[in-house]
Amino acid sequence: MTELILQALFSGVLIGSVYALVALGLALAFGAMRIINLAHGELVLLAAYMAYLVESRTGLDPYFAIPLALVVVAAASFVLFLLVDRIKDHRELNSLILTFAIGIILTNAILLVFASDVRTTASPFLQDAVSLGDLFAMRSEIIAFVLSLVLMGALWWWLKSSWYGRAVRAVSSNRGAAKLMGINPTRIETVSFLVAGALASFAGVALYTMSVVQPATGHALTVKAFIITVLAGVGSIPGVFLGAVLLGVTEALTVTLASSALQELAGMVLFLLVLFLMPNGLFGARARRG
Amino acid sequence: MPVTSNASAQAAPAAASQRGRGALIGAGLLALALLPLVAGASPYMLGLLISALILAGLALSWALLGNLGGMVSFGHAAFFGVGAYGSALLAGKLGVPVLLAIPLGGLIATVFSLAMLPALRLSGPYFALAILAYAQIFRILATELDWLTGGAAGLQRYPGLPTVLGFNLADRAGSYVLVLACVVVFALVYMALRRSHVGTALRAIADSEDATRVVGVNATVLKTWMLLLSAFIAGVFGALNAHIIGFLEPDYAFSGIWSVMPIIAAVFGGYRSVLGPIFGAVVIYLFDQVIAKSLIPVGHQILLGIVLAIMVLLAPNGLSGLVARFLPRLAGRGLSNAEKGHA
Repeated sequence: MTELILQALFSGVLIGSVYALVALGLALAFGAMRIINLAHGELVLLAAYMAYLVESRTGLDPYFAIPLALVVVAAASFVLFLLVDRIKDHRELNSLILTFAIGIILTNAILLVFASDVRTTASPFLQDAVSLGDLFAMRSEIIAFVLSLVLMGALWWWLKSSWYGRAVRAVSSNRGAAKLMGINPTRIETVSFLVAGALASFAGVALYTMSVVQPATGHALTVKAFIITVLAGVGSIPGVFLGAVLLGVTEALTVTLASSALQELAGMVLFLLVLFLMPNGLFGARARRG
Repeated sequence: MPVTSNASAQAAPAAASQRGRGALIGAGLLALALLPLVAGASPYMLGLLISALILAGLALSWALLGNLGGMVSFGHAAFFGVGAYGSALLAGKLGVPVLLAIPLGGLIATVFSLAMLPALRLSGPYFALAILAYAQIFRILATELDWLTGGAAGLQRYPGLPTVLGFNLADRAGSYVLVLACVVVFALVYMALRRSHVGTALRAIADSEDATRVVGVNATVLKTWMLLLSAFIAGVFGALNAHIIGFLEPDYAFSGIWSVMPIIAAVFGGYRSVLGPIFGAVVIYLFDQVIAKSLIPVGHQILLGIVLAIMVLLAPNGLSGLVARFLPRLAGRGLSNAEKGHA
C-alpha cells in the first residue's frame, strides 16, 4: 500500500510539472490583459495534435514537432490576442465568452481534422519504464519533467532579467504607470500571448508523449489550469509549480485509492475547498473577491 | 432610493404607448408560436420546436442571471440536471403527480443552488468556473449514487406527461403547448421583475456595486434571489424535458451542452433583453439541428462557436441590440433595453 501511495505521489509530481506549464501560460495572459483565456487548454491541445501529426506522418520522434507546434500555436495565440483586443465594452464578461467560443471552435476543428479517437505516442523508446529505486516512470515522463523545470527556470530568468520580461511584469502590476515609463502595453500584451503560446506548445507535446489526448482534453486542461491559478494565485512561478503538483498528486492519489472516474471530481473539490476556505490561495496571493 | 424615482419619472410619459406596443408585439409573437399547431407541422418539426423551447427556457434563466445578476454561468447544466432527476425521481419513486413534480423539480434545483451561495462573493471568472465545477460534481454524483439515480445506466421507469381535461400533454402538440406556456410565464415574470424596484436596484448594482451599497441596497441578497430564481427556471425546464423524453442518464442530463447552448442562444439573441434569449434559442437550435448537422455531422458545434465569436465581437447586444438600433420604432421597451446603454 505504501508503495502504491509513493508511486502515486511520484506520478502526480511528474504530471504536475506539465500542468504547471499550462497554468503559467494562463497566468501570463491574465497578468497582461486581466482576462482569463478560456481557450488556453485548446492551444495546448493544438500542440499535442501537431506532435501526433508529425509522429504519424513522418515516423519521427514527437519532440521533432516542437518547431511546428511553436509556429502553429503562437500564430493561433496571436490571432486570439487580436480578437480579444477588439473588445471594448464589458471587457471581463465579453472576453470570457469570446475565448470560450474560440475554445469551442478549436476543439471542433481538431475533432473534424483528427477524429475523436484517443491518441498517444507510439514510440517504444518514450514508453519504456525507467526505475528510480522502487518507483517507476515512463522515460517520456522524466523527459517532460526535466523539460518543464528548465522552461520554468528560463521563464523566471526572462521575467526577472530581460527588458521584455520586466515590461510584462510592469504592465501587469500597473498598466498606467508602465505606459508613462514608455512601455507600449499592446506590444507587451502581444509578447505575453506569444510566450503563453510557446509554453502551451511545449506542454502539449510533452502531454502527448506521456499521456493520452482527445478533443475534449483541451477544455479539461483549461479547467485544470484555472484550478491551479486559484490554488496558487498568479503571483509567482514556484507557487504555480506547487499548486500544479498539488493538483497532480491529488488526481493520482484519487485514481490509486478510489477510482479513475473520480479523478476530475478530486480536482473540483480541491478547487472549491480552497476557493471558499482560503480565497486568497494557498500562498496568499492577490485578492479575488468582488 | 433616488435611483428608482428618477427612472420611473422618466419612463412615465412614454409608458402607456410602450405598454400597448409591447402587448401588441407579445400577441403577435404568441400567434406566431401557435402557428405550427394550426398549420399542422410534422411530428418531427414539432419535436424540434419542443426541444428549441426547452432550450429557450434555459437560455432565459441564464440571461436572467447574466443580465440582472451580472454573473456569467458556465454550469447551468447543474440546475437543469438536478431539476430533471428531482422531478423524475419524485414521480417515479414516490408517485407524485407529474404536473406537481415538475415545479418541485425546480424547487429542488433551487435548494441545490443554495450550495453555490459562497460562490456569489466571487467576481467574474471565479464565479463562472466555480459553477462549472458544481456542474461536474453533480454529474459525477449522479453517476456514483446508483442506488438513487440508477447510475450510468440511467433512469427510465418514470411517468410521462398526463392527460388533463381530455387534453393529452404527452403527445407532441400537447407537450408543445405546455412548454410554450412555461416559457411565456417565465418571460412575463422576468419582465415584471425587470420593471420592478428590484430590477432598478439590480441595474444600479451592475453599474456600481459599491455606490449601490452606499444607498442601502443589499447587493448580495438581491444577487442571491436572482441565482435562486435562475436555478428554479432551469430546473423546471430540465424536469419538463425529462418527462417529455422519458429517459435520463447522467451524461445526458448534466451534459456540457446544457451549459454551452444557453450561452450561445442568449448571446446570439441578446442576453440583455427578455425576448432575445428565447428567439435566439429557437434560431440557434434549429440552425444547429437542421443546417449545421447536415453540413458537418461530427463537429457541427464549430459553426455555433463561430456564430458566438462573431456576435460577441460585432454585436455584443445580440440580435435584439441590432433590431433596437435599426428598427427603433418597432423595438419598443419590451424587446430591448440595449439603446439605453446597458441599463
